[in-house]
Amino acid sequence: MINFEEELKRFSPIPEVSQAEEAIYSNDLRDISDIVTQITNEIKQANTNVPTAVVGVRR
Amino acid sequence: MATKRPVLCPNCGAQVKLNGYCSACNMPLDVIDKAYNTSDHYYNIGYDKATARDLSGAIESLNTSLRYNKKNVMTRNLLGLIYYEMGEVVMALSHWVMSVNYQQKDNIATMYLKELKADPTRLDNVDQIARKFNMALSYAHSEDYDLGALQLKSILKDNPHFVKGYLLLALLHIQMNHYENARKTLRRVLKIDKANPMAIHYLREMGDSDENIIQMRMESVENDGLFDEEYMEEISVSVDGETEIEGGSSIFREFAAKRKPIIKNEYGDMNMAKYSGLYVLLGFVLGVLVLSFIILPHQKKKNNRENAEIIKSYSEELAVKNSEIQTLNSKIQDLNEAIAMAESEDQGANPLPDYSHIEHGMSVDDIQEMIDNE
Repeated sequence: MINFEEELKRFSPIPEVSQAEEAIYSNDLRDISDIVTQITNEIKQANTNVPTAVVGVRR
Repeated sequence: MATKRPVLCPNCGAQVKLNGYCSACNMPLDVIDKAYNTSDHYYNIGYDKATARDLSGAIESLNTSLRYNKKNVMTRNLLGLIYYEMGEVVMALSHWVMSVNYQQKDNIATMYLKELKADPTRLDNVDQIARKFNMALSYAHSEDYDLGALQLKSILKDNPHFVKGYLLLALLHIQMNHYENARKTLRRVLKIDKANPMAIHYLREMGDSDENIIQMRMESVENDGLFDEEYMEEISVSVDGETEIEGGSSIFREFAAKRKPIIKNEYGDMNMAKYSGLYVLLGFVLGVLVLSFIILPHQKKKNNRENAEIIKSYSEELAVKNSEIQTLNSKIQDLNEAIAMAESEDQGANPLPDYSHIEHGMSVDDIQEMIDNE
């Protein structure tokens, strides 16, 4: 049997023309290249955060 | 010796290093190529579904295509077209704008956007649809199913491809136990989007078999009576232009009472029944104007003409009578003159004796003596 409340939740308000800009920004999804860029940036950042070993000077 | 052309990164356009990574964004070229190929593959699937009028399926495939390559202009353009066909113009606009943003030259989305911008009434209409749909949705949430259905019907009459509107209307009909109307509504959805999962889900829940659903797609929706205004028939308009309800249920009264402020204050929904009072008034004013400017002047002119004719005939008659009077007067004068002349002639010939000395009681002898003396 159809649960009206549950079904109604599937419907979302439609944006007006004045809200088109928001719709454009919300449509700007992440694709594979974004994910790969993010991963490479994270790896880079992780590498730069690793403390470098202090090399002692032998007298 | 021919020089090797540098390979450019499809993501940022920078040169790809010999190890296969982009020199700017450090992206592995083989991964990007694979992603872009997969995106094109899903675009093709989406295109096939769209040509078979499985719009929901096409949207799903095209969205998957965008997850692999959001800069796929063909996918964006087709997705925009499908949203436009389904009556969601703002979604269509957003995809076309993104498409033009990624590729300005040789992009059909530029033409789509130009055409839309050139038609401000279409954009106004889009706004109206969005507002009314959102209003209907809020009515549905507040359990005003009648009002919600009415709003949706007014949208769908002018925008018969608005799938989301049909689906919400069908849900409201189901909630109000108007299953036949829900079926009619869902049949219209299946005409636009053959495999709409929500429509099929609702039909199955109402007990329709798969064969029935397939059959529904074949049936005509031209005269299914979905937009027959069963509510409007019961609303009449009083002399002062206010809507009145004759009979009807309490739900119906509530509906009519609620209907008025929505139309007045919200978004100017045109309802012919509400304005019929105004039309009566306008008709009356028009009638008065026609009477005063066309009928009355004509009548006045006709009356004046008739009066002038009567005056003319009377004055002629008067002139005749005056001339008769004059002749009679002249006759009277002549006769008077003749009388006077006859009298004067009579006085000259035999003057009458003076009997002024005769008194009452005198004897004949006395009278004779008096005459003799004279």
